[in-house]
Amino acid sequence: MSAVLSDRSDRAAGRRAGSARRPLLGRFAHGYVAPAALLVAGLLYAPFLWTAYLSLTRYDGLESPEWVGLRNFARLLGDPALLTSVRNTLIWVAGTMLLPVGVGLLVAVLSYDIRGGAWFRLPFMLPYALSGAGLAVVWSPILSHDGIANRLLGVDTAFLQVAPHNTLAMLLVWTWQQVGVNTLLFVVGLQSIPKEPVEAARIDGASGWRLFRHVIWPLMAPLTAVVVGLALVASLKTFDIVWVMTQGGPGRNSETLAVTMYRDTFVASEYGYGSAVAVLLTVVTGLASYLYLRRQVR
Amino acid sequence: MIRRAVLVLLGLVWLGPTYLLVVNAARPAADYDPARAWAPSGEFALFRNFARALEGARLADSLASTALYGVVSPLLAVVIGALAGYAIVVLRLRHGFRWFLLIFGGTVVPSQMLLVPLFVGYSDAGLYDSRFGMVLVYTGISVPLAAFVLRNFYTGVAFSIFEAARMDGASTFRIFWRIYLPLSLSALAAVFILEFTFVWNDLIFGLALTRTETVRPVMTALAGLMTDVYAGTPVPVGLAAGLVVSLPTVVLFLATQRLFARGLSLGSV
Repeated sequence: MSAVLSDRSDRAAGRRAGSARRPLLGRFAHGYVAPAALLVAGLLYAPFLWTAYLSLTRYDGLESPEWVGLRNFARLLGDPALLTSVRNTLIWVAGTMLLPVGVGLLVAVLSYDIRGGAWFRLPFMLPYALSGAGLAVVWSPILSHDGIANRLLGVDTAFLQVAPHNTLAMLLVWTWQQVGVNTLLFVVGLQSIPKEPVEAARIDGASGWRLFRHVIWPLMAPLTAVVVGLALVASLKTFDIVWVMTQGGPGRNSETLAVTMYRDTFVASEYGYGSAVAVLLTVVTGLASYLYLRRQVR
Repeated sequence: MIRRAVLVLLGLVWLGPTYLLVVNAARPAADYDPARAWAPSGEFALFRNFARALEGARLADSLASTALYGVVSPLLAVVIGALAGYAIVVLRLRHGFRWFLLIFGGTVVPSQMLLVPLFVGYSDAGLYDSRFGMVLVYTGISVPLAAFVLRNFYTGVAFSIFEAARMDGASTFRIFWRIYLPLSLSALAAVFILEFTFVWNDLIFGLALTRTETVRPVMTALAGLMTDVYAGTPVPVGLAAGLVVSLPTVVLFLATQRLFARGLSLGSV
């Protein structure tokens, strides 16, 4: 991360060309960053700050926001719907590490160096191109109460009605979709690790699990960090699949934080309280990313 | 050998739902029976089913709007992002790195923090439920990644190219437009593909910022159709709609997997 974000190269370029011409170019240059800076400031930062402010108010979208201090956050602590939502979000995070990332790694390791590997991976790649809504279209007829799964197996399982089974069922659907992209990222990483250490270990007699565990796995660590980081952030913000498959129900028992935020805001029209949920989600995501990155850098 | 066997077994499990999707999307709407969903019907009614979905949910208008959002917003975003990267790296903008952090920092903002102000602000400004409003929001969200990738790309380009063009008397904008932009085509394409997919598959901004079928993006419309599945839209019609509206991203993704993966790992740093 530090290498990519360092401004060393900018400064080096500046030194090389001498500073005499910098003022002239620098002045014009503001016109070139202006569109990007204005769009980001107007559509991302300003709404961000506004939501942070609204989380401290009572607001229904019609009357002006009324300042209530931290009362929304105090209310969050005692809200049973929020507790369920936090629990479900944690299931999503843990489950995402275990299944989509784990199975993705398995498929990548099994297929990256065999002939025709791309063909073996194709079944996993197809679902990735589906959207959350597309995913729900495919799976609702399978998992619904009188759906394909129940009728084919001759059982009567409430896949999407009882908590936490409904979250676990959706997690399996999510796995079906997400394995492809994780496989792809892992394959790109596995194919770009240096050949020499692997060959050297082979000559020394390492193979199979030992070769993977002690040579290949450490070499692909930077990429694993990226895949896990992506999955971590994405799973904390799980929304689409839940919204389309269960709308967070029945009785709010499959809500995630992102769904709770949407429901409180746009269904219950409590903009201030919904904003407080959004702030909580942001803090949790930010904290998780920070702790994760710190561990990776160290 | 064991590796291949495990892969084939897992692959078959993964193909199951895909198979169900294709077979039942092509089944005549009246013939659907969950207990016999595995068996192909022998008839090919995919287009008839899709036509029915187009009519019932006015998906044609949604598709046209989504195509507009999916092409225009990422195009604008990559050019705007490239301009910013060019100013920071090549024109050596004063405090360039801080500008870069300002723009790139936008990727950290979760969409949930945007919804209420955008909804209220758009309503006040007359942008709610308008195509222009949707293009604007998708462009804004797409800019940080574009700026990030293009800035990194231009850092790797020899500065002597700029100096030589300067000697020949080209203006800074001409140098950008005729040299740096074409030079970065591969990076632009990677970002474009990623952002096209993001816009095409978006659900939440469509939910929060649109109402009418003509403006509503297609995935939001599809999600609406899903609630109708319980209310009487036959399963094959829903599946046909889902299959057809997913084709653009399926084709794009399969055709450009490697580029896609590179863009993804670039954007995550």
